[in-house]
Amino acid sequence: MANERGANLTITEEFAEKVKRANFMDRVMRVAPIMVLAVLILVFSCVCGFHVFLAPSNLVAILKQLAIPLCVAMGLTYVIMIGSIDLSINGVVGMTGSLAGVFVANEVNNLNLGLFGIALAILSGVAVGLLIGLVHVYLRAPSFMVSLSFMYVCQGIARLSYHSRILKITDKTMLWASGASFLGIPFITWMALIMFILCLLIQEYTAFGRHVYAVGTNEAIPRAVGVNVNWVKVRVFMLAGLMSGVAGVLGAIRLGIGQVSIGDNQMFPAQAAVVIGGTALAGGKGGVQRTLIGVLIMTILKNGLLMCNVSPYITDGVQGLIILLCVILTCEHGKTVISK
Amino acid sequence: MEERKPLFTAKDITKSFSGTQALKGVDLEVYPGEIVGLVGENGAGKSTLLKIIIGAQPQTSGTMTMHGAPYAPKNPMDGNHAGIGMVFQEQSLIVNLNVAQNIFFGHEDRYRRHGFINWKQMNADAEQVLANCDITNIPVRKKVFDLNFATRQMVEIAKVVNVAHRDDGKSCLILLDEPTSVLNEEEVQTLFRQMRKLAARGHGVVFVSHRLDEVLEISDRIYVYKDGMSMGNMETKSATEAILYEKMVGRNSSNEYYQLDKQIAPKEAVVLEVKNLSKFGVFKDISFKLHHGEILGLCGVVGSGKEEICSVLCGDESPTGGELLLDGKPIRLSSPEKARKAGILMIPKERLYEGIVGILSVEDNIALSNLARLKSGPSVSPKKITAQATQWIDTMNIKTNGPKALIMSLSGGNQQKVVFSRAMASGCDIIILNHPTRGVDVGAREEIYTLIREIVANGKSVILLGDTLDECIGMSSRVIVLQDGRITAEFDASVDNKPSQVDVVSHMM
Repeated sequence: MANERGANLTITEEFAEKVKRANFMDRVMRVAPIMVLAVLILVFSCVCGFHVFLAPSNLVAILKQLAIPLCVAMGLTYVIMIGSIDLSINGVVGMTGSLAGVFVANEVNNLNLGLFGIALAILSGVAVGLLIGLVHVYLRAPSFMVSLSFMYVCQGIARLSYHSRILKITDKTMLWASGASFLGIPFITWMALIMFILCLLIQEYTAFGRHVYAVGTNEAIPRAVGVNVNWVKVRVFMLAGLMSGVAGVLGAIRLGIGQVSIGDNQMFPAQAAVVIGGTALAGGKGGVQRTLIGVLIMTILKNGLLMCNVSPYITDGVQGLIILLCVILTCEHGKTVISK
Repeated sequence: MEERKPLFTAKDITKSFSGTQALKGVDLEVYPGEIVGLVGENGAGKSTLLKIIIGAQPQTSGTMTMHGAPYAPKNPMDGNHAGIGMVFQEQSLIVNLNVAQNIFFGHEDRYRRHGFINWKQMNADAEQVLANCDITNIPVRKKVFDLNFATRQMVEIAKVVNVAHRDDGKSCLILLDEPTSVLNEEEVQTLFRQMRKLAARGHGVVFVSHRLDEVLEISDRIYVYKDGMSMGNMETKSATEAILYEKMVGRNSSNEYYQLDKQIAPKEAVVLEVKNLSKFGVFKDISFKLHHGEILGLCGVVGSGKEEICSVLCGDESPTGGELLLDGKPIRLSSPEKARKAGILMIPKERLYEGIVGILSVEDNIALSNLARLKSGPSVSPKKITAQATQWIDTMNIKTNGPKALIMSLSGGNQQKVVFSRAMASGCDIIILNHPTRGVDVGAREEIYTLIREIVANGKSVILLGDTLDECIGMSSRVIVLQDGRITAEFDASVDNKPSQVDVVSHMM
């Protein structure tokens, strides 16, 4: 029988309407983080007073607090964009921070490798990322278990590297970097911003960056055109390792010591920032530019609550609730979003 | 007419998936500049053939040629190199990338300089690719996400033509698998114009669709497939819908096969009434009555909404409109548990994934849905579980080493009988059978038909989604036909009044 489409479009029309609504919601979700950020700034400015919250000293403090979470969260963004998860962050940041302390001039050993030592520390992070990626991809182990295991491995390496004697860093460059600023912005924040631009360039202007989206959307598509999906994934974990490595070094610079606790409590806020920024846990959607907004929200929230004399214990709880809320809001309900 | 050389040929292609034969030897020939339509019922093997041609799946036997040379792709890239491109049923664009990035996806190396991509060059080339297909008005920098479905399809076609493009200028073969299912009338016409343009350039186009009117409109020649075999091909000029329907369906099976002597006339009492049931964008205004002791068959192609209606009836998904009356009383089924308590149970299609718990024994599988009733005190009684299983093994004639045998050790047919036992043991009065004979051998199939007849003889009612049209008509006492989420026809299918398959299929497509 002929198809009376003219009179009976409804289901097709309804379907189109459904897609339209989903697209609209997606656009809303794209601007929502920016609105949240604006509201936060406004609220804290009103509550704490504009002259307090927006004082140059507090802005510099925010920028300084921003640096390390930003680095970590950008690496994690890539991992989440391919639909996986990296739980090794606390360990890798702690390890690279500790190794940075061990390799440069310090009060305990005489290695004094200088900048080369710093590069070596960062490379150790890349190496861990490579291992996580290889085990995840080729031994088909779920990324959350692999990376969680590596978190403990890395913490062990970190403690071994300084024999439980916390190293005070005496390296001149590192000491200079901890106090230096340019245009009022601290050195470590500059480093984080440079890494941000690097990550954004990789995301937008390289084939690898484009492939990351494709792998996260549907692995079968890139595979069908001959993209080495496994290698894309391994490189994503290496990039995450690199970013954690940079974060570890920045942490060592900031604290002036090399110790495993540099990595403590890095993972969850980073995760929160990525999700709040609008990168979907299911993969294929998001980007580091969104994560920047997410990190700003997290940092300002923490700073603002502190400025308003809210107990830091409450702050932690609030953080947890916020990420929970974001996950509920952004997950595509009904689809399985277990990280691969 | 001058002798033409075919662009592509496939000869005697067979394909078997773990025992079942999806293709039993099909042929296809496509000439340059020709649009070939492939039609057939669900499971006729159209999509499987296309996947074999593009190289996404290997054939079990048979040969193909492209441009007169032997062609044996190992993956879709080989297909592309040979000049074959395919637009898949599910769109394969990355929505978060822009048009140009999608067109050159996987081929970025050409534009790499110092590690970075020269987007300017790529955008320019993408515009060229679109222009080559006479597609204008699509901004190459726009994200696919922001395009409507019809435009996405155009991008997909341009992409496919580009990857299949050969430097030696030889023509390509473009495969389109159900491209119109999400398009409206106007968009379909745009797509058809595009297909005609491709053909005018000497390319071959293969078009698979469930919509016969569209196939008749666009194609030059039509192949009809049935049960994995070619039923021949004809010039569209000499084809009509009636001829195609006739070729698409088989002969009705004998009365004995579906045990018509056991078919009973349903009683007057209505057990379930569905009133204007709708699910936004999936199905709409579905109304029917299920009588006591009735087997009600739902027919429709994949995507007609019949599966989704069943999901709603068994509480798995919630509708967006309409109401359900159980024994005359309105009821809301917000979960499968509620549905089961109300007396509705579905036997799922994917037995292996949804029907049985493979690591459990036969008795545990049977007891899954009525554990609460097998209690002695606060805990379940192993004795009662075994006793129940022993009884069902006997009644159903399940071939097993005993109630404690692992269900995975049983044959497909016997596993299905365990699933049926569970459904009967649950005490539900309405049983939805979703492809109950899928992947079951002939002997076991017969036993399952007997079981279905017994279920209704015991006063229960059945909604049946048949594995084949023949089965659905043969087993049911009434048949409802769906197309595009709406009921298009209803047939009485009492013993002496079975509708022909052609009658039914003509309301499905």
